[in-house]
Amino acid sequence: MATITCREFLSYLEPWMEGERPPHAQAHVRTCANCSAVVKDLEMIHAEARSWSASEQDAPERVWTSLRAQLEQEGLISEAIPASEGRAQAAPPRTGWFTGLFPRLPRPVLAGGYLAALVAVAFALSGPVNKRVNEARWLKGTQISTSPLSAQLNFAERNSNSYVSRSNPVVAASLHQNLAIVDNYIALCEKSVSEEPQNEVARDYLYEAYQQKADLLTQMTERGENVQ
Amino acid sequence: MPEAEAIRLAQQGDAAAFERLYRLHNRRVYSLCLRMVGNTAEAEDLTQEAFLQLFRKIATFRGESAFSTWLHRLAVNVVLMKLRKKSGNESSLEELTEPDEDSGGPRRDFGGPDLRLSGSIDRVNLQRAVEQLPPGYKSVFVLHDVQGYEHNEIAEIMACSIGNSKSQLHKARMRLRELLHEALRAQAREDRKAASAETGGKD
Repeated sequence: MATITCREFLSYLEPWMEGERPPHAQAHVRTCANCSAVVKDLEMIHAEARSWSASEQDAPERVWTSLRAQLEQEGLISEAIPASEGRAQAAPPRTGWFTGLFPRLPRPVLAGGYLAALVAVAFALSGPVNKRVNEARWLKGTQISTSPLSAQLNFAERNSNSYVSRSNPVVAASLHQNLAIVDNYIALCEKSVSEEPQNEVARDYLYEAYQQKADLLTQMTERGENVQ
Repeated sequence: MPEAEAIRLAQQGDAAAFERLYRLHNRRVYSLCLRMVGNTAEAEDLTQEAFLQLFRKIATFRGESAFSTWLHRLAVNVVLMKLRKKSGNESSLEELTEPDEDSGGPRRDFGGPDLRLSGSIDRVNLQRAVEQLPPGYKSVFVLHDVQGYEHNEIAEIMACSIGNSKSQLHKARMRLRELLHEALRAQAREDRKAASAETGGKD
């Protein structure tokens, strides 16, 4: 059987990976360590990539919620969003269980101020972790740290409400529904923290709830500004 | 509701049909976008944009190609437009791939047996390498090797010939191999540096 060189084998490589394997190319691969290594590498790349399709996931529910609002805004569909659909259902979380509840939120500059405050609070609370500190001190510390933030969010909420009232009524209704959900979760998280002040997970949820509210308020403000 | 019925009803503006089509296809479109941009927030935006374009144009769908092929073509175009905007220029598919050496074939540097990738290809380092591919290579690689499309379908989606699809795929895989080798070499250098620093510290 005629033998081929490595350079010649190169020209067979593309069809080889498509399943065309002439005998002289097969003979070369059997005897050439380098070309055999290339073939194995390419096959492994293909196999690894193919395995990714098994872990494909649906887009988070907020994508549909947002898309539907856009379709309605453009008049492509006309049905009003039923109350139960205004809120996104639980979806595989991107950064936490809370994130999946909302339509895709941009991460605007305005959120920076709120988030900086959140980070400062989180740092203040999580830094000096000492298991021996009693629960009352934990609770008091949490309250002292979160009160200004809560007040700031309330103030931002009043501003955002005035902005969002100028945007599309369907979008505004959806945003208000989401805000109501966030407020409910904040209340739940605050209750959990008051019951278990030393529970770091409960505190994390509370911070995340505040962060979601900050994001949502920012989005509401932006929507309002965009329609001005 | 079967897909054909959903398409017909969506063409009449039926909201439930729109949702049905979205539910049927969002996973593949989102995955394609995610693999192409490597970022969940951007992938969500692009998925929304692709479906928005689809629903704006659905009245013009006449069934000349499969609906999923049509949708994927829209999605790939949305992603490529985004990547073009990012890179700040308008370019054709050819320009979205790397110019190969004179022959247009794979590079001659095969690497020796010592540089076999065996055991070093995993999801993380391959994803990193995929992110570094030029957009044209990346599209064909994701459509074929990840999503399992055939070359004739990719040719339709990418508006290119079957031969072009095969060639782009081969170049993409060869480029990935190079990138993975480069990553291995970089890792080996880092390891040597760390080892030498450790030895130096002890002396």
